[in-house]
Amino acid sequence: MENLSDAKFAYLLLTPVLLLLGIIALWPLMSTFWTSLHADAAFGAANYGEFIGFENYMAILSGQRDALLTQPFFSLSRPFQSAVTVTLIFAFVSVAFETLIGFGQALVLDQDFSGRRWVRVAIILPWAIPIVIQGMLFFLLFQPTVGFLAGPLQSLGLLSSSPLSSAQDATMIIIVADVWKTSAFMALLILAGLQSIDRSLYDVAQVAGASKWQQFKYITFPLVLPSVLIAVLFRSIQAMRVYGLIETVAGCTVVPSLSCLVVTSWGQRQYGTASALAFLTALVIGIIVSVYIVRFADAESGGF
Amino acid sequence: MATETGQQTGGEADQGPFTRWVGSAIRNPAKAYRALFYVALVFFLFTTLFPLYWLLVLAVTPQRNLQDIFLTPNGFNPGVFIEVFETVPFHIYMLNSLLLAVITTAIVLLLASLAGYVFGRLEFPGRAPLMLAILAISYFPPAAFLVPLFRLFTGNVAVAGINSPTWYNTPGAMVMPFSALFMPLSIFILSTFYGQIPEGLEDAARVEGTTRLGALFRVIMPLSAPGVATAGVLTFIAVYNEFFFSFLMNDGQVAQSILGIVSSSNHWAPLLQGVLAFQTQYGSLYNLMAAASIIGVLPVAILVVVAQEKIVSGLTAGALKE
Amino acid sequence: MGNVTLEHVTKRYEDVTAVDDMNLEIRDGEFVCLVGPSGCGKSTTMEMVAGLTKPTEGQVYIGDRNVTNLPPKDRGIAMVFQNIALFPHMDVYDNISFGLRLRNYDKEEIDRRVDHASDIVQLEGMLDRMPDEMSGGQRQRVAIARAIVRQPDVFLMDEPLANLDAKLRVHMRTEIQRLHKQLETTVIYVTHDQAEAMTMSDRIAVIDSGELQQIDPPLVCYNEPANLFVAGFIGSPGMNFIDGDIVDDGFVADKYEVEFDPSRFGLSSGDDVTLGIRPEDVYPVQNAGRIANQSKEIRARTDVLEPMGNEIFVYLVVDEDAETDLDKPGSGGRLLMSVDPDSDVEEDQEMSVILDRERVHLFDTATGEAVQHGLVEASEFGSASAQAEGDD
Repeated sequence: MENLSDAKFAYLLLTPVLLLLGIIALWPLMSTFWTSLHADAAFGAANYGEFIGFENYMAILSGQRDALLTQPFFSLSRPFQSAVTVTLIFAFVSVAFETLIGFGQALVLDQDFSGRRWVRVAIILPWAIPIVIQGMLFFLLFQPTVGFLAGPLQSLGLLSSSPLSSAQDATMIIIVADVWKTSAFMALLILAGLQSIDRSLYDVAQVAGASKWQQFKYITFPLVLPSVLIAVLFRSIQAMRVYGLIETVAGCTVVPSLSCLVVTSWGQRQYGTASALAFLTALVIGIIVSVYIVRFADAESGGF
Repeated sequence: MATETGQQTGGEADQGPFTRWVGSAIRNPAKAYRALFYVALVFFLFTTLFPLYWLLVLAVTPQRNLQDIFLTPNGFNPGVFIEVFETVPFHIYMLNSLLLAVITTAIVLLLASLAGYVFGRLEFPGRAPLMLAILAISYFPPAAFLVPLFRLFTGNVAVAGINSPTWYNTPGAMVMPFSALFMPLSIFILSTFYGQIPEGLEDAARVEGTTRLGALFRVIMPLSAPGVATAGVLTFIAVYNEFFFSFLMNDGQVAQSILGIVSSSNHWAPLLQGVLAFQTQYGSLYNLMAAASIIGVLPVAILVVVAQEKIVSGLTAGALKE
Repeated sequence: MGNVTLEHVTKRYEDVTAVDDMNLEIRDGEFVCLVGPSGCGKSTTMEMVAGLTKPTEGQVYIGDRNVTNLPPKDRGIAMVFQNIALFPHMDVYDNISFGLRLRNYDKEEIDRRVDHASDIVQLEGMLDRMPDEMSGGQRQRVAIARAIVRQPDVFLMDEPLANLDAKLRVHMRTEIQRLHKQLETTVIYVTHDQAEAMTMSDRIAVIDSGELQQIDPPLVCYNEPANLFVAGFIGSPGMNFIDGDIVDDGFVADKYEVEFDPSRFGLSSGDDVTLGIRPEDVYPVQNAGRIANQSKEIRARTDVLEPMGNEIFVYLVVDEDAETDLDKPGSGGRLLMSVDPDSDVEEDQEMSVILDRERVHLFDTATGEAVQHGLVEASEFGSASAQAEGDD
């Protein structure tokens, strides 16, 4: 081992990691793709039927497969009940609120005040709470009998009589739950950006006569923007995989996110369809990410 | 919010002080910003902590009074925290979760240390693409791995006539995906830390008599203790929080006693299944659900209090490097 | 046994050759400095002796063993590093005893050796300190103690004094020399500082561009440099170089004329040579009496004076029109002269200078190899030459 060249030594040490990732990640990806090119098995033992090329993908994208799914893959007329639309609504709205709130939290945490340590603990705490407990908490908060939120919101006409089984209401509740838990993550990433700003820039601005607001507008915001954009990217990728929260709060039939659809069709032994859906999920995420990166590159060069 | 109400009541009682305050705030904007800061602070503390406080209120409310709970419990029933364990073996679920998290963390730290050393300290062909490939894995949704992994862990994949192990319901079926899923972040954190140890220290250790791996474990790792702790804490929390494989890679059953965990590897449902058990089997026992949730939060809550610096530095270091 | 031999050692990285066909023989107990400009390959050479880097080609021997494929821990070496490299998470005792503990020495033996080593470097009473509680010099002493406690066959020192301030550096220089005298162990010492190499070593190995230029005792490197590189690198300030041609009765350049019989040194009319002369071998013409064999007078104007206390450096302009290469002192119409501190020189003064022909070096301009050191044969001017050498 001592005589190996750097390259051989490097690959030797990487072997266990590569082996693990190969078996648990790389092989499953390829296998999922291969399965997605096959028909669902008609009968018991077989995992999948005959090779059909991209037919699963065509059927899902054209809506022909919708009848076999718990909820349609894509439907603009029922945006809260079709997988692509509800996933995008969830990701877009929750990430937007998380960015705003996270930015606010980061600005608060960036200040010096006594007790900051405990405020930071309080703000991080929701981030560390298991998804299932987060789900349970919001399931209870919006449970009409015990929860205090359902009643007033219902009387205002914002929620229906059974919010957890209405697609639109449940989606909103899940968004609120996600914002509650993950704003802190956003806040930490933005805080890192804030703290990397050279403090002497503020002295310069102050000497030049800039007000607090002007300091924020001309120094803080442009310098922290790259961190915010990256944080938004991370969070969007995560948000588009949402599954556990839905399963706990409302169930996959009520809010059929993309991951939900994969799991339910897998549960019904439609392995070909489930695999194709899994790859389409990755594809949707990929498209959103590339659109975002292209625009983000524009914004960067656009003169902030 | 307290500050805000304080100012308003002051204003109602006597126009003088409030008007004076407004006047001075206009002349001296720093004062207004300070007030704004406290309003924001109180708002954030309230929104993050109130739901947890409410959960506690719900938990200690006696079962017959489970109606419209808001600021105070309708009655007081601390016994609920014992009922939780009597209704389902909640301690076994929790112990399972903690064990799974510890085992995964140990595996991740060991393997990610080797990889972190390689990526942080060695130059070799293929370094950048390999690192990118490892990070790219965390891009895919867990659903993309589900179909084959389930077949693998139910013994339905054969290589050269040998069937894969039937790990469904056992720790292996969860620890393996957890490790693979959370490995990239740790590799990333550790390679940053290991890369910062001066070359001379590693050389000195090797000249003094360690092997290359010896230098990693005796000098580089101890010196990077904060980084190792950060990676460990983040992995632990991530596993404890995980939903997807925790939900799908077991049947929700646990052993009936602590000894049962040791004797059978077949009952390894984690905390998640314990919490869901209340939802599915005891549909209206909302106080028990709340109590179970509070108990389930305790380990991570303690970890956050103890290790908040590590969490913050770990997440932010990762973000800044990207 | 602590003799070290490098046979045809070459180290190539992807696109650069760091060390090229290095052959070195270092005797047991010798103090050898590897010296050269940064990036010359001296540190890579030492890393290959240590086993931290594996040679692409060639063999490394320590004692009678071929250690080319042995890891550092099995080579019987100890090393002191430029950045000192104490383990910051261990106290002084643990740092010094690290290697012994790895080798499972028993507690008493470790204690005895640590006490002895810390005695030698005067660290008594500091064994429980942490490195960050110590001064730079103390830390350096811990690093040295860590090396000697293992009683290695060979000490490797990689610029151990480079990070210390100037005063401490001179002090530690003497301490290391004393240590070497006391332990009589082979020392290989890497430095870019030629003064350090001159003062400390038994022999200096001058390295440039990955190749060994010369390995000889310090004064031999100074007085008989093997080539232009060594001549320019050893000595401070550096040697003056004057490019010129051989004619029938000696050497000529634009403003210079030095008479000798070229055929005696195997030169013939028309050869391109570079004449080298150290600043202290250039004299104002009024001091001509001090030397037996002078060159012809050279007309010059004084430019800048640098009084050093014990001597004055006089920058002379010989040729006002020549282009000056600032990296090469004495080239391009300039000449650097060192005179006694009480000499009567002023800036911008016209004067004539002469060269001591016994101390003139001739180099082949094309290859850089030395052709001749001293233009006077001892037999011819025996007494004068002997006297000049006595002056050194």
